[in-house]
Amino acid sequence: MTSIDVKDLTKEYGTTRAVDRLTFTVEPGRVTGFLGPNGAGKSTTMRLVLALDRPTSGTATIGGRPYATIDEPLRHVGALLDAQAAHGSRTARNHLRALAVSNRIPARRVDAVLEEAGLASVAGRRIKTFSLGMRQRLGIAAALLGDPQVVLLDEPSNGLDPEGIIWIRELLRRLAREGRTVLVSSHLMSETASFADHLVVLGRGRLLADTSMQDFLDAHSHARVRVRTTDPARLRATLVRKGYEVAQSDDGRWLVDGAKAEEIGALAAGEGIPILELADEQASLEQAYLALTADDTEFTAVSPTTPQEV
Amino acid sequence: MATTAVLHSEWIKIRSVRASFGSLIAIFAVTLAITLMVFPTVGQAEADNPGAEPLFNAFYALNFAQIAAISFGATAVSSEYLNGALRISLAAVPHRGLFYAAKTAIVGAAALIAGLVTSHATFLVGQAFMGEYTIGLSHPGALRACIGGGIYLALMALFAAGLTVLLRSAVAVLSILIPFILIVSFVVGDVANGAAEYLPDRAGQQVLHQDPVGSLGPWGGLAVTAVWAGAALLAGWWAVRRRDA
Repeated sequence: MTSIDVKDLTKEYGTTRAVDRLTFTVEPGRVTGFLGPNGAGKSTTMRLVLALDRPTSGTATIGGRPYATIDEPLRHVGALLDAQAAHGSRTARNHLRALAVSNRIPARRVDAVLEEAGLASVAGRRIKTFSLGMRQRLGIAAALLGDPQVVLLDEPSNGLDPEGIIWIRELLRRLAREGRTVLVSSHLMSETASFADHLVVLGRGRLLADTSMQDFLDAHSHARVRVRTTDPARLRATLVRKGYEVAQSDDGRWLVDGAKAEEIGALAAGEGIPILELADEQASLEQAYLALTADDTEFTAVSPTTPQEV
Repeated sequence: MATTAVLHSEWIKIRSVRASFGSLIAIFAVTLAITLMVFPTVGQAEADNPGAEPLFNAFYALNFAQIAAISFGATAVSSEYLNGALRISLAAVPHRGLFYAAKTAIVGAAALIAGLVTSHATFLVGQAFMGEYTIGLSHPGALRACIGGGIYLALMALFAAGLTVLLRSAVAVLSILIPFILIVSFVVGDVANGAAEYLPDRAGQQVLHQDPVGSLGPWGGLAVTAVWAGAALLAGWWAVRRRDA
């Protein structure tokens, strides 16, 4: 097994709790989106998993072992924490070579990941000449260097162009399909919705949700049906009689709050009202996320006191 | 983790950053340039002065070599403290003892090789222009001074490296050590004897004298510099082990 297990993890900086008794598991074979506002503790949690920071209490293990005890860890775990961390004076190839050599990863992997990240043509250029998007690609290339079973990426789509965003999305989907464990933090909801199967949501260092994407959407969005008819007056009258709240949308459709498509369909059929279009509104992850964080009263406070991500 | 692999990786890191590799080359290049400027011009005139010390004067250019050695030690380490690069390094080599030992070993070995080549080169090249005042490696204390001078440069590089880990900045270390060596040690050393003998640069340079004055002796002086370097490296190790990366 190559799951990431976080148990009762707590990290305090002075009097501030950046991570507060966090417990969750990241399973292989799916992409887990790691969500939360800035300062929620996502980056801190990742640093704790990688044994870069020492937890105040609790444990974080990968495949049952603390990261620091894994021999040649890049062969098992790949991480992107901060694309700016690569030294600007090195060339992209030398940056990856130094990493590969330390973990006895064959040199051909350096060229392979440069190729995969679309950086083969700039491999000999100094990193300081790279745009943020190129650095991000280099950071992802470094994470993939050891062909790891576990991949942790902190805000990987930062600075990527639309092409890059599609690339990272497909890469993440592929890694999960290959049975790898993939944890990806983000604060971009639509981005996360496009690749994540599962969600771990943090707020102020605490776990707010650990659930599948679909369950999360169902739990934190309210049902709404979109319907179009040739006989709006009768439909409206019928629905209002049944106690539904009906509103007309700009494009001539009708929106029925708190209803499911099957209810409205059956009702319209019973009344003999012709229906041209009938669908459940798919709640967006963004709406669901905001609903969740609005539930958490502490989030109505303006600014979290936890330190900003580094 | 394979030790040789980590050592190799650390060498690639030094080699691939202009500031650190440039400083390493500068140990040799600057010294040779100064030697070639000074000895053909004022070398013989200096040697003619009463009280001239042929052996110590032969290593005049090491004053510049030690600045380069300090820069090398500082920049070789400080590249880890730029924008959180240390996190990348420690994610690759999470065993912090191994990481630190490998980095220290590579910095020390590179500086030692550069230092030995440099001290021999400046001695032999400089003496080629000394005419009737020329001394050779068979001169009393000359070989000892050449070897000791190389070791001295390596120790100064390690001293700077340890301090840089502690302070996490090459700029901080260079702005402490270089004025210290150029001014403080120079002034204090002339004013107050006794304690000044134990300053890292003063002590270590005893090995360059034919007849060292003071109580330390040539190797004793070098040992004092080694203690300074060792203390800085221990402080650095404490920082690497304790701190969050």
